[in-house]
Amino acid sequence: MTARLLIGAVGVLAGLYGALLLLERTDDLVPVLLWVAGGVVLHDGVLAPLALLLAVLVLPRLPYAARTPAAAVALVLGSVTVWAVPVLGGWGRREDNPTLLDRDYWLGWGGLVVAGLAVVLVWTVLRLRAGERDRDAATGEDA
Amino acid sequence: MSPADVRVPREDDFTSRLHSPAVASRVGLWLGISFAVCFLTGLVSHWAQTTDPLVPFPTSPAWGYRFTQGLHVVTGYVCVPLLLVKLWTVYPKLFGRPPRALPALTLELLERASIGVLVGASVFQLATGLVNVTQWYPPFSFRPAHYAGAWIAIGALVVHVAVKLPTIRAALGRDVDDTALDRPEAVAEGSLSRRGLLRTTGVAAGVAVLATAGATVPWLRRVSVLAVRTGEGPQGLPVNRSAQAAGVLGLADAPDYTLVLVHAGREVTLTRDDLLALPQHEETLPIACVEGWSASATWTGVRMVDLLAQVDRPSGADVVVRSLQTRGAFATTTLQAQFVEDDRTLLALAVNGETLDLDHGFPCRVIAPNRPGVLQTKWVTRLEVAT
Repeated sequence: MTARLLIGAVGVLAGLYGALLLLERTDDLVPVLLWVAGGVVLHDGVLAPLALLLAVLVLPRLPYAARTPAAAVALVLGSVTVWAVPVLGGWGRREDNPTLLDRDYWLGWGGLVVAGLAVVLVWTVLRLRAGERDRDAATGEDA
Repeated sequence: MSPADVRVPREDDFTSRLHSPAVASRVGLWLGISFAVCFLTGLVSHWAQTTDPLVPFPTSPAWGYRFTQGLHVVTGYVCVPLLLVKLWTVYPKLFGRPPRALPALTLELLERASIGVLVGASVFQLATGLVNVTQWYPPFSFRPAHYAGAWIAIGALVVHVAVKLPTIRAALGRDVDDTALDRPEAVAEGSLSRRGLLRTTGVAAGVAVLATAGATVPWLRRVSVLAVRTGEGPQGLPVNRSAQAAGVLGLADAPDYTLVLVHAGREVTLTRDDLLALPQHEETLPIACVEGWSASATWTGVRMVDLLAQVDRPSGADVVVRSLQTRGAFATTTLQAQFVEDDRTLLALAVNGETLDLDHGFPCRVIAPNRPGVLQTKWVTRLEVAT
């Protein structure tokens, strides 16, 4: 317990130092706080519900053998898409500097999506061959 | 849960057995390590950019900043899937019912506040980092906000670990499929097993590395389809700020350009031809930017220490470097004594065998080992020995 209190105290001090830095050095505090709040709202109110809806509404409607592959690939592609927003949007691209953001990012992203779909397909076939069937037989048409 | 059933969910509505401390603590461990890597490499970068640090920033190894900042940015990308999965596993707690008794309620509210700070700061750090890498600037000053946010995030993380330590130890000490620590409702088998989720998260992290690290690891360039740079550019080198963006067109390429060396009231004025007539040295050094991209190049120019001997720079004196640039925060930089005195530090006139491109800092630029790119000042017009 003493160790935990000490660790906690170190954390509180580090956090307070950060808060002090924010108040002292950032004269543009309001947009910073808006970004912080916006980030939380965007995650808790949009991204997380979307992921849950996908898990609850979409996955169970897929053929049984495709569910695991689809869930895994959706996680990988979904997270890629989240962190790739700035490059896909070309945020920061400027005419005077062709060396920045100098790829066709939609092509790269599309390539990853195609590769992901191929993985789902092959993995599903392999699962079917291995005899993976819905044990509850709730969806009987997955073969 | 059906679509018609529209109400705020309760914690026990979430029945997947993936919502378990067994999963959260494992992903949390990877995420904690990744955050620590980002924090420490971020401190290194902050140190490297501090004008007058207590401990001088070392000049060796020459690839040091290239490594730490590349690691900082790639680890930041890795944090995205880790954070998303971590938050997803604990998402039901957002809807947990607070206890009634006052002491327990106070503790719960304190913990929730600390989690709120942790989540807010974490998302903020990743979001600001991701957009800064593409040079898209939010409506606030990036560096101080990202630096303050780092301390808040790491502080809240340490508090979180202290609070959760017994759960973390219990969870990590058991098999991942053990259910002893689970909520009684969290028993539903989903599309992914716990091991499947952990492996998939690892794959998502690996994809983030492969898809972005080519901006700093040359042999990954062809694989890194989402990296911010291909590594191509004039003279085989990318450009961070162009001559046009820096507002030096017409100044840097003016025929009457001169470099002025200043020390204690003495001034020595040199043309570019004068600089070319001095002994030239060749060094292979990387340009390593705060945005995480880097590229190595062979630079030719005058050794900084030899050049400043013309105005009798005393040993140990820093040098203020002034650029022609009329826009941007780094028109004036300080080249600390240890960099001035390192033989590899050049006032470069050529790169990869060609006269510097205007976008690479023609007529001359600073190139020093183990330095952030923003401090490798281009279009240099004045070197003042600090006294």
